[in-house]
This record gives sequence, C-alpha cells and structure tokens, in this order.
Amino acid sequence: MCGVESFIFWRKKRFLTALVTSASLLVLTFLTHLGLGYKVISPLDVLISGTTQLVSGNLSVEGYRLLRALTAVAVGAILAFSGYLMQLSTKNPLADPYILGVSSGALFTVSLTLSLAGYVAHPLVLGVRTLTAFLGGFTAYLITLFIASRAGMTPTSLVLAGVAVGTFFYSASLLPQYFISRDIHKLIAWSMGSFVSPSTDILILMVSALSLSTAFVFFLRHSLNNLQVSDDFVRQLGRDPVSLRRCSTLVASLITSLTVAWFGVIGFVGLAAPHISRRVLRSSDITYVLPMSLILGSLLTTASDLISKVLIAGIEIPVNVVASMIGAPVLALAILELRKHGS
Amino acid sequence: MVLEVIKLSVFYDGAQVLREVSFFLGGGVVAVVGPNGSGKTTLLKAVSGLVSYEGSVKILNKELSVLSADERAKLVTYVPPLVDVMPDMSVGDLILSDPLTDKRLLEKYVDLFELSSLLKRRLSRVSSGELSRALLVKGLSRNPRVLALDEPLSHIDMRFQLILLKLLRVLSGEGKVIIVASNQLNPLLSYVDEVIALKKGEVIFAGNVADFLKLSTPEKIYGVKFEILLKDKYVDLIPKELS
Repeated sequence: MCGVESFIFWRKKRFLTALVTSASLLVLTFLTHLGLGYKVISPLDVLISGTTQLVSGNLSVEGYRLLRALTAVAVGAILAFSGYLMQLSTKNPLADPYILGVSSGALFTVSLTLSLAGYVAHPLVLGVRTLTAFLGGFTAYLITLFIASRAGMTPTSLVLAGVAVGTFFYSASLLPQYFISRDIHKLIAWSMGSFVSPSTDILILMVSALSLSTAFVFFLRHSLNNLQVSDDFVRQLGRDPVSLRRCSTLVASLITSLTVAWFGVIGFVGLAAPHISRRVLRSSDITYVLPMSLILGSLLTTASDLISKVLIAGIEIPVNVVASMIGAPVLALAILELRKHGS
Repeated sequence: MVLEVIKLSVFYDGAQVLREVSFFLGGGVVAVVGPNGSGKTTLLKAVSGLVSYEGSVKILNKELSVLSADERAKLVTYVPPLVDVMPDMSVGDLILSDPLTDKRLLEKYVDLFELSSLLKRRLSRVSSGELSRALLVKGLSRNPRVLALDEPLSHIDMRFQLILLKLLRVLSGEGKVIIVASNQLNPLLSYVDEVIALKKGEVIFAGNVADFLKLSTPEKIYGVKFEILLKDKYVDLIPKELS
C-alpha cells in the first residue's frame, strides 16, 4: 500500500476506534446519570417512562432526569463545538468560550437583565434572555479579539486578553447580584453552572442551533481546514478568510451564549474536548475532530453533572466547579506544550 | 501565450507596491528576483488572483479577476513560504487538506519529497525544511497550468533544492509556466529560462539569464559586486563586496 493511502486508512481506523470508545463511554455515563440521584432508579425505566413523559409534557422524576441528562449532553456538545470553532478561527489551541471571555460577557448581561426584571419567568424576560446573552458574549469576544490583535495575536496575547475581558465581565456580573437580593440563591446557582432547571423548549432550541451550526462547519470544512494552514490557501478555495473568521466568531458567540443564558458558565469544556480529540486522533482534520469533540464535550459535561449531583448527598455542587477541575489541567498541559515548541 | 501580465499595479493601504508591471510567458521556469520589499510576493499573489489589482492578468486568454474561484484554481496555484500552522496538525492532514488535489500526483510527490515517513508527525515536531516540502507537495499536487512558488528554496536542503528544480524543468516541458520568487540566485539561475528583476515595485529587467548577468543586473538590484562563474549551463554568483 502506498504512503498516502496507508496514512488515510490509519487515520480512519484510529477515528472509528476512538469514536466507538468515546460514544460507549458517553452512553455508560448517560445511563448512570439517569439512574443516580436522590434515589436509585433503573436507567432503563427512566429512559422508557421519561420518554413517555417528555412526549406527553407531564414530567415527573423520570422525565426530569431524562431531560436533565439530555440537556447536559447538548450543552457539552455546544461548548465543545464553540471552543473548536474558536480554535480554528484564531489558529490557537488555547481558545475556549470561557477563557476568551464570551461566557462571562453573556453572564454579565443576563445577570443584569434578571436582576432588573426578576428571575422568575416573565414572558418578556424569557424572550430577551437568549438575545441579551448573545449581545454580552459577542461584545466580550470582539473586545478580546481587538486587544489580542493589537498585541500581535499570539496564543499568549489572546489568552491574556480573554482573561482580562472575562475577569472584568465576571466581576461586573456580581454587582447586580450584590445589590438585588430577590432570587439571589437561584441567580448564584445559575451563574456557577447548573442543570437543575432544564426545559424541553430550550433543549429543542439548543439541538436545532447545534445542528445548523454543525451543518455550517461541515459545508465549509475544506476552507476551515485550510484556515489552520494559511489564509492564501483559503482564498484559493474561493473563500475570504476574513469573512470566514467573522462568521465563525458570530456562530461561536451565539451558541455559547445560548447555553450561558439558561445554564450558566461551564468552563474549559470547549478547550478540553477538541484538545483531547486532536491528541487522541493525532489529526486536526475537521471531518474527524468535530464529531469526536462533540462526543467528548457531551461526555465531560454529563460526567461533571453526574459528579455534581452525587458527590455530596443532598447537595448539588455547581457544574462549573467539577468541569474546571477536569478542564484546567488540560489548559496547563496545552500551555506547556506550546511553550515547548516556542509558540 | 499562457500568462499575459499587462500594466499590473497593486496598492496596499494607498501605497503602490507594484508599478505597471508587464510581461508575457508562453512556458518555462521564470525567476522573480529582487531585494526585500521589492514586490516579489505581491507579484506572485497578483498573478494568482489573491490580491486585487489594476491592469490585466490573463491566463490562457482568460482575465483572472472575472473568473470564479473554481475556474481560477484549475489555472493557477500560489504556494506560500513558511506559515504558522495549527500545531496539532499532522503532515498528512496538511497535504490532504485540499479538495482539488490530484491523488495520483500527491502519491508521486510524497515519494519524491520523501514525506512518507513523516505523514503521521505533528507539524509542531517537524523542521522548517520538512514543513516547506509539505507545502510544496500540497501546491504541486493541484496540477495547475501556472505555478507561483514563493521562496521555495529558503528552507529546504541542497538535495531537495535539486529535486525541486529538476522537477520544475520537467513540468515546464509539459507546457506549464512556473514562477519562482527567490533571492537564492544559486542554484536557481542554473535552472530557469528567464529572469524578472524587481526593484521598488518596478521591473528593471526581464529577459534570459545570459542578458541578466551581462547587464550586471544582480549588482544593480542588490548593491553587491559578484564574481560570476559559468560552466556549461550552470551559473555561480559569488558575492565579493558591497558596491
């Protein structure tokens, strides 16, 4: 077999092995998530009864558990997708919606809206919540990119700019919480990442947004693959690299903000899932890395939520705390690797 | 005529970096030489349709600026010099990232540039010469009629310089136009048919290698006095002192 053919075969085989392994782990974690909680129930019962309840709209324990687990899967996939898209468009393996300030920007605007208009469902608040999150997240991302571009757009300058912007918006998001005591506990629990209030409508919205965004990336996969190499190669495929980056920025901010609006900040999943995927696959081709990242993002978030609800009996630990404990070491490793290669 | 460039001008942020450049090429290997900042890369990008320009660039009588990207891609390919790539990308990912690649040629060039054993290696772990070879294989495998190679000799060792230059001779024999921007006059001048010399965005010489040397063009463009050694068809320029 020739060199290139043998490489293509090796890459596909590695992808399929990794995909099947990670998908099996996800199914196992998902079923465990369904079974464990305040009381242990058979995952199969939860799956069957929960599906019936979700279809009928009358949720009890099984329906709630299934909805929560599905929400964790969808949020994880979205965060992984968003982080991967940011990494592609900035050609920076350290990019992530949390690290680059997008999540904190969305957190700030939603905190402000909820504090002013009340946490509990007012139709207007529900209607504008996602849009408000997007405005905050997108603005924060633009500021991060602006500062980083002024500082040479190196991996380090991008991360430092993101940390500065993220810290600013995170601190600013505490202010409305400090002044307004109404629903303060709910607000704090939400801001630290929580799946305790899932909703069928939001799940459908997230799955639709992720499907559309994935179709967008798949359609542009050749250009995005070449964006990792050189803008000149992207132009030779008939795409404008600047517009491609702008679109990617918009899509990544939009879908990250969607998760932050309803389930708060869950950091590092967007960094860890694509990073581990590229490492395991030993490839950066979108055709392979994207599906693997989506599964790993879902796995990380579902596992984090499972730990958050069962680690201490009767207490829900914020999901962000657990996710960060998994994701932060991956960031540290990624920084060490970049340093080793002089980037 | 394969490539016709007429009164080509390019502006970056209002500053003119190419001034009414004109030349016609029917085939062969052409060296584009000139000091740093003389407009070599801009000329290559303009004839590849990658920057907006004034004037006319025609390949096989088709104006480049009105062609679709797909039509343009079949006619011309620009291969950039070393680029910053995503560190986790492998050599194999890089050379397979182009949907317009001719797979048969890709196999051939991977063997020729000895990349088979490097395909699984991450780009953060390869040398600049190995990355440069991978970029050349990616560009060459598109099999266009016009190839614009930007500084292809700068990072590869003598063995691969020779492999590349001999390959370019073969490709020019198949009717392709190959434009090589480089300041590595040795060994480039021994393998090209014509030379275009640029200075401050203007063509100060266009013609064959013998005339290029006879008119002391290297000294005019670089401000360096050379001793020129000629043996058979091979040329060697030895820089002696600043002029």
